[in-house]
Parts: sequence; structure tokens; C-alpha cells
Amino acid sequence: MENELRNAIRELLTQKQVDVVIGYGKVGVDGAIGALFITDPSEVDAMVWNDECRQNLAVHLTRPEVKALGKAAIVVKPCDARAIVVLANEAQIDRDNLVVISAPCTGVKKADASGHKTDELEKKCLSCVEHVPQNVDVVVGATDAAQALDAQNQEVAQNRSAGHQTRLAELRAKSPEERFDFWKKEFDRCIRCYACRQNCPLCYCRRCVADKNRPVRIDSSASLKGNFAWNILRAFHLAGRCIGCGACANACPAGIELDLLNLTLANAAQDQFGYVSGKTLGEAPLIGTYDTTDKEEFIR
Amino acid sequence: MSQIISLDNLKRLLDAKIADGATVVAPVQDGDFVSFKAIDKAENATLQPRAAMQNSIKEFFFPKHETLFSFVRQGNDVQLLDAPDFEKEQIVVGARPCDAAALEILDPLFAWDYQDRFFQERRKQTTVVAFACTVCDAHCFCTAVGGAPDNTKGADALLYQTEDGSFEVKTLTEKGEKLFAGQLTDGSANLKPLATPNGAIKTEEVASWIKDNFTSPVWEKVSLRCVGCGACAFVCPTCHCFDIVDEGSYSKGKRVKNWDSCQEAMFTLHASGHNPRATQGARQRQRLTHKFVTYPQKFGFYLCTGCGSCSRSCGASFGVRPCLEALEQNATQK
Repeated sequence: MENELRNAIRELLTQKQVDVVIGYGKVGVDGAIGALFITDPSEVDAMVWNDECRQNLAVHLTRPEVKALGKAAIVVKPCDARAIVVLANEAQIDRDNLVVISAPCTGVKKADASGHKTDELEKKCLSCVEHVPQNVDVVVGATDAAQALDAQNQEVAQNRSAGHQTRLAELRAKSPEERFDFWKKEFDRCIRCYACRQNCPLCYCRRCVADKNRPVRIDSSASLKGNFAWNILRAFHLAGRCIGCGACANACPAGIELDLLNLTLANAAQDQFGYVSGKTLGEAPLIGTYDTTDKEEFIR
Repeated sequence: MSQIISLDNLKRLLDAKIADGATVVAPVQDGDFVSFKAIDKAENATLQPRAAMQNSIKEFFFPKHETLFSFVRQGNDVQLLDAPDFEKEQIVVGARPCDAAALEILDPLFAWDYQDRFFQERRKQTTVVAFACTVCDAHCFCTAVGGAPDNTKGADALLYQTEDGSFEVKTLTEKGEKLFAGQLTDGSANLKPLATPNGAIKTEEVASWIKDNFTSPVWEKVSLRCVGCGACAFVCPTCHCFDIVDEGSYSKGKRVKNWDSCQEAMFTLHASGHNPRATQGARQRQRLTHKFVTYPQKFGFYLCTGCGSCSRSCGASFGVRPCLEALEQNATQK
């Protein structure tokens, strides 16, 4: 699959259909995988595709440094492709001026504290039913194994009975006081580095509310008050938008389970409005629309 | 003859210090992570050498957030209240030598034009007990920046783990001697072998390249994958930038000091809207220049101890080591 991917990329660059390809490469310490930007067909062999491609590369599409490189093609995992759908639906990218390449995925593995691959699948992969790419321009590789995984996970996805959904259910089973204590402990570790925001493909605001200082909207201090305000506000801003890629939690140097906050709101969007963010290209954003048949029982 | 303390006696010593009212900071395992934390009892600490730490000991000298003073306004009167009491005995045990070394690197900075009493007082009150490294990972490169797995810089005592889990103790300062007085027994120690970090980076050549290549397009190229968060700076034992802000309301508030990072676009954004460091390449150049050119010129040390925390914490697989390695290719090209 890796070679097919490289061939597709080489062709795009050779034919000058794009100026740059954003993909995965062994760029970090000990071959740790991160974003690789390729402009020359002769460098294509450095691109990789394996179960350590954790980062959601769609974050790069709205960065001015990357935009300056010209027309782009991007390699994404099928689940991450939803971020590109949201970016297009929210008019942040010109979808016609972008080539999205993907390949069937069979899940990515967790890393340990030194960045080495473990045997354990990422939490979100355990209930994933998006192993086959959707809404992309180029698909490379056979989809059989990915389709089988999708079929296998249908039930746990429906029942929300695996992976991060189980983790969330455990938390929601606690009393409000216990839940508050849990988040107090989590947010106490927050150092306000904004790795969550900077690694999130959908946190694209040029001036984040956390950076507004005339007047200050939320405390910039890493105090418990400031940390609660920041993390909850960020979750609110992703309500009905977050695609659950887990980039925030993965990037958090303090290991805060931020994905659970966003998952709560993603579940609410689905339960209340039947809305799954990033599934349909051209769909209006949930927060930007209303319907007279919308349920109102969540308003208390 | 060596001076030995058993693991049990080390724990007893820490518990006694806690009972005396001292703050004891040690590595604590929490889920997948190990981080330095203040402990209630020594039993909660994981007292053995470790390379991958979630935080550095920096925050016990220079916290992520601290109050400088507060004010209360009543009618036309304004009452100023001093910072809450921070002068308390502190013992940091289990520091990596690369954590401890950072303290000595930061000493001249916090005693330069402005005497930072917060940092200085905590330095005076704190005894730092480091563990010589018997383990390392691929992120470690202390030996490329003048450090070593048994570097004594910044520590008051250095403990070498023995094969049977005890420690051979080398006291380095009066504070270290005082802490371990009457606690050590003579014995012969069979020490665990020290770690051998890969320090094969031509740091001096890279530093000299950085000095001469401010306008090189290489900066933009190597920094493309950096998404501009502050994780690297905040986990770094030597990064020390901070922001001072006022918090509160008209009637009551405080002036606070918070960690800040040159990797965030806001760091240099002017009120006019102009940003002198407009791209991530310019910001990364700033970080590396400060660490390997400016700080050594001013204070005589690299502002980096090779701990590798930046690259371990980076969501984009970047950090000082990958950056130095990428620059090295240019530095050594003729």
C-alpha cells in the first residue's frame, strides 16, 4: 500500500498537478512519524503509511506557512478525512484546489512515553467504523480488510460499548461531584501550552478567544479557574464540529483526556440532532442551522 | 568504602522531612505517566532513575502560574497584599541530572538585572537530590551539550542506584550533607551501569551555523511541521519566559506571572498587528538561537541540558534534537 501511495504522490508532483504533498514521514527522534512536506518527486520515497501515523495532518491546511507553498495534496487517514469535510463546509479551504489522498486503514497503535509503538490500538480505533476512505479524491490500496473491520465494529459503535465511548460511559456513571473531582485533577495538570488547540484541525481561528486581551475573555493563567475556563470553552467551540480524531488528547503533554469532553458533545449532537460532523460534503454546520422539528428537551 | 542508603531508609528520611513540614517532591506514577509532584508519603513515589518524565523540576522553582501581589480597593483606599508565603523548606528527590543542571543554568538569569526573589528564595530553601541515570532513551542527548548521566551540576547530592536497589550517596554541597547526615552506612556498592545516551550531535558546529545564518531559508523548511504550541517550552527545564498579567476586577485582583513560549504567534504580536516573528520558521530560529547562541554568549551555558523532554512531548515529532540534527546537515556541508 505504501508503494502505491508513493506512486500516486509521485505522479501528482511529476504532472505538476500540485506544488506540495503533505504526508507522513519518519521525521522525528528514532524515526518517530510526523508531517513531511514534499515538493520534489525524487523525495517521495521518504513518505510512509503505517500504524504509527497518529497525527491528523489536516491541521496544516489552514496554516499560512503551508498555504504559501502553493496547491497542496494531503495524505489522511479515513477518519481524519472528516476534518477536511468540515473545513470545506465552514469555508476555510477551497476543496476544489486540494487533492485528498487516503488509503484503507486498520487502526493506529498507541505510543509509550518515549514515543515507541505499543501493541495497543488507539482508543478511538476500537469502535471505528471509518476504516474505508470517504469524501477523498484518490484512494490507494485494497479495501477488503478495512471493510471487514468496519463490519466487525458496527455493533460496538452502535452501542457505544468500546474504546473512548466506554471510557466516557465510565465517567458519566459517576456522581456529578466525582466527575467534578476527576476534571479538577485533570485540569490541574494543564500547563496552557495550547498543544490541544494548535494540533486541532478545526481550531483555525486566527485570534483565539484565549488570546484576546483587550479585554481578557478568559484568564490566561494556568490556575484551576483559568484551566477550567479554557478547556471547557474550547470544547464548546467544537460542539457539533469535532470529528473525534483525538489529536488534542494525543498532543497534550499533560495527558489530559480531552477527547472525552469533545466526545460528550459529539454524542449529544448525534442524539439530539442526528448530526455527525464531517460526514457529508456541502452540509451546513450544525450550529449554523435550525429546524422547527429540533428537539428541545436538552434545554433545562 | 562507599556511603550507602537503602531504599527503605531513603523513604523513612523523606517521611521524616514531610512530618517536619517540608515539601517533598518526587517522581509519581499516574496512569501511563510519571511526573514530579509534591508527595504526602514516600510510599507514593517511584524512586528510581527514569528518562521520560512528563514535567521537569522547574515548576518547583518557577511555577507555571504564581501571584506576585494582590490588591483590594475600598472606597479611595487601595490595599496591597504581598505574595502568599513561598519561603518553605523543599526537597526534590529523584531529579534527573539534566533537570538539576538546568537550575545552575538559570541562576544567573534570575539574578541578572532584576533579582527574582521568588526563584532565588526557592533555590535557597530547596535541596536537590538527583539520581544518576541508569536508563535513557533515543531522545536523550545530554552528552552533546556538556552533560552526563552522572552530571553533578545543580544537585546537592547525587545518588547512584546499586544492583540491589539501594543507593550510593555522593553529597555535593552543605545542604546535601545536612540532609543525609547520620543516614548513611559504610559499605561496598555494586553499582548499576550508567546509561549511555547518544550524544552524536556536532553541537558547536551547529551553534556556529545558527549564529551566521539568520536569513537562511533552511529555518522555514525544517520548521514546517511545527504547529506552534508551547509544549516544548513548558516541559523544558531551562525555558524561562513568562508573561505578567493582571487578573480580577476593579475592586479586587492580583498581578500574576505565567509561563510563556516564543513558539506561539502571540508572543511577539505587536498592538499594531505587526508581528516581527511572522512565521514558525522565525519562531523556531528564535528558540534555537536563544538556546545555542544568545544565552551562551551572555551567561556561558547552552540553554539546553539534552533531557529530550521537548521531543518526547511534541505532537508533531519535532523538538530540539530533530532540529539540531536537521541543521547539522547544513552546518557540516561545505
